[in-house]
Amino acid sequence: MGNNMLRRSLLHLAPGVAGLAMLPAPSALADRKRLTFSWPSNAGPLHPHLYSPNQMYAHSMLYEPLVRYGEGGQILPALATAWAIEADGRAWRFTLRRDVRFADGTPFDAAAVVANVDAMLGNRARHAWLELVNQIEGAEALDPGTVRLRLAKPYYPTLLELSLPRPLRFASPAALRPDGSLAAPIGTGPWVLAETSRGQHDLFRRNEGYWGEQPALREVLVRVLGDSNARALALETGEIDLIYGTDQVDADTFRRFTADARFTTAISPPIGTRLLALNSARFPTDDLAVRQAIAQAVDRAALVRHILLDTEPAAETLFAETFPYVGLGLRAPAFDGAAAAARLDAAGWRRPAGGRVRMRDGQELALDMCFTGTDALQKAISEAVQGDLSRIGIAVRLVGEDASTYVGRQRSGDFGMIFGDTWGAPYDPHAFMSSMRAPSHADFQAQRGLPMKAEIDRRIGAVLISTEEAQRAAEYRWLLTTLHEQAVYFPVSFLTNKVVHRPALGRVPFGDTRNDIPFAQIGRG
Amino acid sequence: MRRLLVPLATGLVALMLGAAILAPWIAPHDPTLTNLSQRLLPPAAGHWLGTDHLGRDLLSRLLWGARASLAAVTAILLMVLTLGCTVGMMAGLLGGVVDAVLMRICDAFMTVPTLVLALFMIGALGTGLTNVVIAIALSHWAWYARLVRGVTLSLRSQDYVTAAQVAGLSRLAIMRRHLLPALAGPLAVLASLDLGHWMLHVAGLSFLGLGLAPPAAEWGIMINDARPFFRTAPMLVVLPGTAILLTVVGFNLLGDALRDRLDPTMPDHVH
Repeated sequence: MGNNMLRRSLLHLAPGVAGLAMLPAPSALADRKRLTFSWPSNAGPLHPHLYSPNQMYAHSMLYEPLVRYGEGGQILPALATAWAIEADGRAWRFTLRRDVRFADGTPFDAAAVVANVDAMLGNRARHAWLELVNQIEGAEALDPGTVRLRLAKPYYPTLLELSLPRPLRFASPAALRPDGSLAAPIGTGPWVLAETSRGQHDLFRRNEGYWGEQPALREVLVRVLGDSNARALALETGEIDLIYGTDQVDADTFRRFTADARFTTAISPPIGTRLLALNSARFPTDDLAVRQAIAQAVDRAALVRHILLDTEPAAETLFAETFPYVGLGLRAPAFDGAAAAARLDAAGWRRPAGGRVRMRDGQELALDMCFTGTDALQKAISEAVQGDLSRIGIAVRLVGEDASTYVGRQRSGDFGMIFGDTWGAPYDPHAFMSSMRAPSHADFQAQRGLPMKAEIDRRIGAVLISTEEAQRAAEYRWLLTTLHEQAVYFPVSFLTNKVVHRPALGRVPFGDTRNDIPFAQIGRG
Repeated sequence: MRRLLVPLATGLVALMLGAAILAPWIAPHDPTLTNLSQRLLPPAAGHWLGTDHLGRDLLSRLLWGARASLAAVTAILLMVLTLGCTVGMMAGLLGGVVDAVLMRICDAFMTVPTLVLALFMIGALGTGLTNVVIAIALSHWAWYARLVRGVTLSLRSQDYVTAAQVAGLSRLAIMRRHLLPALAGPLAVLASLDLGHWMLHVAGLSFLGLGLAPPAAEWGIMINDARPFFRTAPMLVVLPGTAILLTVVGFNLLGDALRDRLDPTMPDHVH
């Protein structure tokens, strides 16, 4: 309550926002300048350093990084205009952009950066999943326009991880409390949070004092809509103006909009990978032959054509080859049920007379496939995979559960096969691979049974602090080739963002990362 | 009108029972066999009602769905009757503290809405059709216990029961010989009215993904699976929905008819 009041009073004090009320805009125009979007949940309290329930798209609207991630992995200036690494590779100097102010009027300077880094380091355990935070020793202000970031070791993905939507973004030091909590969500970004109504909507207003190019839209209203059917109907009735995201509407609905002349649709380039992880530490997927047979027996092309309706391209590798270091030319084995069956025969898995499920040493070739019960897409893919595998004599038990139980299984390894997407740019490949070393997602458990798991972990650690470009490429090659050969992943498709809107909205570009929705660019020329 | 309704209801229930019992023999296809290239087909010769989003035969799934739904409802019925009769008769015959304690337990179960209670129990027991059955039975037995207790209390003081007691019959024998037959009528009425209600519960919980594991066919699951396609292939929702509707209507009409027959207090009852 107190939090809300302070937030509101701070917003009203902001000179830019106060100026907004005086703009001579007729109400009809003002209405047209509001974009209504929808999201399954509220944006959250929007602490720039914290995670769920804070939504990343909203983090990116309010808060900015020192450097941002551009197309194809290039690093571009944001709040820092220039940067340089010191000779020993263990410190970075950032020249900060001049004349940047937070939405409450506080200047953005070296002291503000240090205050935010200190607040984040005060909560190190919460950020341990991110290697950069483990490497940061501290930040110091050399002068008001220059900041020095000290690291424990040379860490090559430093700039990539500085560009993440969280936690290395900056809140106004005036709003940051000494204990690290936040009085009000105030950043330097092109938007300010004007209003939030739990379960109803969040309203973002243009930050009139923004240092960069002003957004063309005046307001973005984000309505809370959980159900994809409701979202599609809302777009048709004009209650919302835009659908943007990986799974905001199902493939059938997207295709229906594509065929409808009243709407414009678009599909982004790959932004991540839809994966199935196979548990190498658990019967029967601990047998390499079983994993390889699964890789051959599931008809990926049919999944992509008939379930995803070609809204996502088929994936044969862990990461799309457009990501840095991963263009290795690896190819998944072709769909071939007979070859998969022969492979199982050769490995001693035989179909008993009259039986449908193969057996070896008295044990059935049966495994659990786990998914989120409410996710219609995961369920449909699961059932199709189950059908494919039953044809070669593998019994798949489908386990659909609530989201938290499902995530618990990813961490505990209590699965035979389980869904697990990669995180997309700028996390792929390095941050996603870094997290393979701890049981935070399905990857660690899926790989745990591999004979070379210790070496995989060691080499991931090495690649992150390697300073030699060629050595890094060689390490990635070994890692990705090994994971590919061991068949611990079944890549289904490359995730894409799907966009639907009416043509009147103008051009809607794609964000550079998976979680960025470029509201600031919508409606501009 | 009523003359028509009873055969109609009997017909509907018989139809569903027939489908449930005969599904393995009359279903034209394996209800779980996916064939992605045959998805969302309209009704045609090979698939009389068309196919679903994974290319599975809709008619076969409906028939097998009847089996799952009716099996679940039967299991619930047996559990509820067993639990309700046991608790109700114990309370009615023993009276005193036992009665007070048992009835307070009943009160506790009756105060919580049944769906909420069922969801809570599934949360505790885990998902799956068996647990759904247990959860629905445990959230509905209290009304039966109340009814049985009431009937037992009114019968306990009847002369023929007293006579049986004087004759030295054990409590168990009195329950079996004199109380159960008297209870059959009211229980049959209550149960037949509830069958439809339970069927909706099973379908509702399956719709929420808490019941049978996929790819098994069940009407609630079929409706949930069809949600994304209700604009492109509305029959995927309409057919299992109609199956649920007809079955529930059938059971309710039958229950009404049964009540008219057995309940002498009904105003329009004609002897």
